[in-house]
Amino acid sequence: MTPDASLKLVGEVRDLQIVDADGTHCGIADELEFEGDPGKKLKVRAILVGPGAYQFRLPKWIFSIFKRAFGDASVTIPWNEVAHITGRITLKRPGGAYGLLKAEKRYAQIVRRIPFA
Amino acid sequence: MSNLLEITLGIMTAMGGFVDMSELVFTAQAGARFLYALIWVIVLGTIIIIVFGEMSGRVAAISKQPVFNLMRQRLGLKFGLIVLVAASIVNLITCAAEIGGIGIVMQLGLGIPYRLATCLATIALIATVWFLPFKAIERIFGLLGLFMIAFIVAAAAIHPPWNEVVAGLLPNIPAHLSGNLLLTYAYFVVAIISAVVFPYETYFYSAGAIEEHWSKKDLMVNRLTTIVGFILGSLLAISILINAAVLFAPRHIDPQMVGTSAMEVAIPFGKVGLGFALLGMFFAISGAAIETCLCVAYGPCQFFGWKWGRYVRPSEAPRFTLLWIASFVLANLIVLTGVDPLNLVEWAVVSAILVIPFSYLPLLLVANDRKYMGEHVNGKIANFCGIGSFAIVVVAAIAALPLYFLTSGGQQ
Repeated sequence: MTPDASLKLVGEVRDLQIVDADGTHCGIADELEFEGDPGKKLKVRAILVGPGAYQFRLPKWIFSIFKRAFGDASVTIPWNEVAHITGRITLKRPGGAYGLLKAEKRYAQIVRRIPFA
Repeated sequence: MSNLLEITLGIMTAMGGFVDMSELVFTAQAGARFLYALIWVIVLGTIIIIVFGEMSGRVAAISKQPVFNLMRQRLGLKFGLIVLVAASIVNLITCAAEIGGIGIVMQLGLGIPYRLATCLATIALIATVWFLPFKAIERIFGLLGLFMIAFIVAAAAIHPPWNEVVAGLLPNIPAHLSGNLLLTYAYFVVAIISAVVFPYETYFYSAGAIEEHWSKKDLMVNRLTTIVGFILGSLLAISILINAAVLFAPRHIDPQMVGTSAMEVAIPFGKVGLGFALLGMFFAISGAAIETCLCVAYGPCQFFGWKWGRYVRPSEAPRFTLLWIASFVLANLIVLTGVDPLNLVEWAVVSAILVIPFSYLPLLLVANDRKYMGEHVNGKIANFCGIGSFAIVVVAAIAALPLYFLTSGGQQ
């Protein structure tokens, strides 16, 4: 499947695993951003990744728990950066280029302090 | 030749890793209370775990999607999140029960105080997962769990009434049961199904397939491992039940402690038998503790798309690493509160059956989706078995809580 093919977006793209060009897990397609006007063709503009994207998908009280625990940031990945879609979404470049994997780096510093890491 | 070796090792690993605390407790109690009448439930549970185990391996090999990822995609974020939380709690309680079981086995075998034993076991398990790669963990504990074959040898040595054993293979309700005893029998039916098809087994198997980069060429290994390995594993569970029926039932012994199961081998074979039984139980339960603990970490990582797995260094999958370490520590803290491991097993079994349908539904849906599975989509037989198995676990899930409360956890 290629990004310009006809897709059932909510069913087939949202909530799919995202991997970058290096094969690293970079999160999930938490939400999709669309562009278009009434009567015109609706197109996907971007994929949103991160807890901020849950704002309109979760009840308020659950989202507030998420916000406290993980913040409400989200990263926007332009749709034209998608290389292909199978059981996962593969990006054209490494995740760091889009601002992904920041949390992984933070947690990695903690793990490196453990002996024999 | 190497492929044959791989298949053999896979089958033996599946066999050795089949039995855990819940099966040791419930199958022994089932034999002591209802003789051979519940053997058919182990057979039924084995068919269900074969069906969904095979499906999870096939889906992982073809679509590269692990179970919690499917859960989110097919159940949606909100409902998927509820199932994730429930599954994580079930896995944590199960892990605590397994650590408690290891503590009891160490106490019996080495004379170490129970609480010290669980702490030592937790440290040893953390070190094992930290230093060993996935395949080594899976193989070492699965293969050493084969000491459990001592239970099969014991069953053959004590000459059970084979005609009654064979009769127990067919679904039946003993004629003399009524009232509370009938409810307890029904509770054991549900508990044994839950114990055999524990959801962590599917989560772990599916994650393993992805960790080992399975593809189309591994589908035969997947099929053979699940069918042959799980059937051989179920023989272990059946032999525990048979031994209890022959050795405990006539003496009115109710094996409430996991250690009592070890006596099944000690009675016919003395100290050597006891040693084999304890070793088998130690490795089988330790393997299950590792699997359940890793599953607590797999859940959020697969659900939120974080890097996970033991194929990379701990610092390369940091959230996964911190989660599995925290799971071991939390599970041991639960044990250290003094809660009886048997209670933990009961809670784990009853709560697991509630989670199982929601773990299996996404699998069934994706295995039927030709867009993801291509030519490896479910055929008619796989669908018949899948839908039938799903219906059974749904009925068991609906009945679980009422039966648990009506029978006070099978104590009536």
